[in-house]
Amino acid sequence: MGLLKIIRKIKRKEKEMRILMVGLDNSGKTTIVLKINGEDTSVISPTLGFNIKTLAYQKYTLNIWDVGGQKTIRSYWRNYFEQTDGLVWVVDSSDLRRLDDCKMELDNLLKEERLSGSSLLILANKQDIKGALSPTEIAKVLNLEAMDKSRHWMIVGCSAYTGEGLLEGFDWLVQDIASRIYMLD
Amino acid sequence: MDDEMDKETISDDKQAEAEAALQKKHLSMLERLSKRQQTRSINIEPSTESTSSFLSRFTQLKSSIESRLSESQSISSDPSQLKPHFDKISESISDLEKFVAQSSYFLPSYDVRSSLKTVSDLKRSLENLSSELIPKKKFSFKNKVSKKDSDSVIPESKQPIVPVRDSVQSSESFAARDSPGFRNKFGEVLVGEFSETEVGEFTVSDLDSCEVRIIGCVRALFVHRLKDCRVYVGPVTGSVLIDEVEGCVFAMASHQIRIHRARRSDFYLKVRSRPIVEDCSGMRFAPYCLSYRGIEEDLSCAGLDAETGNWANVDDFRWLRAVQSPNWSILPENERVGTVDISNADSRMEEI
Repeated sequence: MGLLKIIRKIKRKEKEMRILMVGLDNSGKTTIVLKINGEDTSVISPTLGFNIKTLAYQKYTLNIWDVGGQKTIRSYWRNYFEQTDGLVWVVDSSDLRRLDDCKMELDNLLKEERLSGSSLLILANKQDIKGALSPTEIAKVLNLEAMDKSRHWMIVGCSAYTGEGLLEGFDWLVQDIASRIYMLD
Repeated sequence: MDDEMDKETISDDKQAEAEAALQKKHLSMLERLSKRQQTRSINIEPSTESTSSFLSRFTQLKSSIESRLSESQSISSDPSQLKPHFDKISESISDLEKFVAQSSYFLPSYDVRSSLKTVSDLKRSLENLSSELIPKKKFSFKNKVSKKDSDSVIPESKQPIVPVRDSVQSSESFAARDSPGFRNKFGEVLVGEFSETEVGEFTVSDLDSCEVRIIGCVRALFVHRLKDCRVYVGPVTGSVLIDEVEGCVFAMASHQIRIHRARRSDFYLKVRSRPIVEDCSGMRFAPYCLSYRGIEEDLSCAGLDAETGNWANVDDFRWLRAVQSPNWSILPENERVGTVDISNADSRMEEI
């Protein structure tokens, strides 16, 4: 019985995925995580530090690390890079002014060797706001095509406010990670 | 004996010879020595001379630089001349430094040290002067009419044209696209009425001494580079992002408020979550004080009718300690403005 229990535990562990959510402040990272988890999103303070959410998604367990995006704490992002399977980069599509900041921070992040093997999902958030850029436009600004060969990536337009696009994005991410890691399944 | 005598004479001869040779050697040695002494004294002579000549030349150069430095105060009335003036001074300082370096091999180490110190002092006073007289481009507003016009303004005002990366250009082109907002104004009252229409993202940027009144709901509000402005906004159903403001008064209601790089500004807030500040100073907070016809309905539509008291729960990302941050405080009640009513139409109003 004890052995079976251990085996089950390991098996369960194997199905775990570690997902890191990053992006500039005000992009909606925390709101996205809470929305996916079906929690109330009406009162969310800017993240001072980080939140961890563990949720069951299809047959996998996702450990989502939602790290604050304020400038002061961006330098701490690197503390969360280890063993990241999936990276979610959240963009405020309505914040036109800071798109170059956004690109610069993403470029810096992707230079990180510890993240080189992880799948990258870009969520073009706040699509419900009038005046927001489309995912295609965001992809162009961020020059995502440049990493076609070096990384598995995908951009999805979404709204953490309505929930639209979130599942589509996470479906892709989870499938992509699974196909890399659990090929034998 | 004969042999000995012979030997002796021989040795005498030899001795004499040797002595002569020695004498000669000694003489030549003396000669050499005296020659060397001479050459040495030749070397020493000019070197002592050049130390003093170095010092006099150095003092001369130094005083000329100093006098030109002191001149700059009088030139300061004409900023266009100031920069070439400073450039010239900095050139002479580096010449002086070179001069010290070239002479350093024969200078006593004390002189090298003291003259290098003089050079660095000169450099520092030049730096101080130029930063004092040519202030770094502080953020200031020009009354630009539109983005396109600002391009033509740039060469005229001799602003350095900063090379921009592709990404910046591309995002600028997106920023230039018509998103609703108030931009580049001086001394105006700007009114936006959105009671009927649905507004998404709204931008308030590059204003100086303006009053902004926004009646009705907007989804997201971006505030950037304001100076001495009053900004009164109705409910924001999403988030407010404020960056680079100085000497302003804000009254706003929102779900989230983030304030970056603000100085000497007052905030009258109603906010569902905790407002945050980052790189700010001299900020004061008070409860929301805005009123216009129909604000109650707008607030309840936006889910902002309840008072949470969060206006006072400010998180300072630059002050992650238990004690109160020095960058913000609660605005004393006797210094707060009363209720601000923006429903009265002003004749100078600009409708958008």
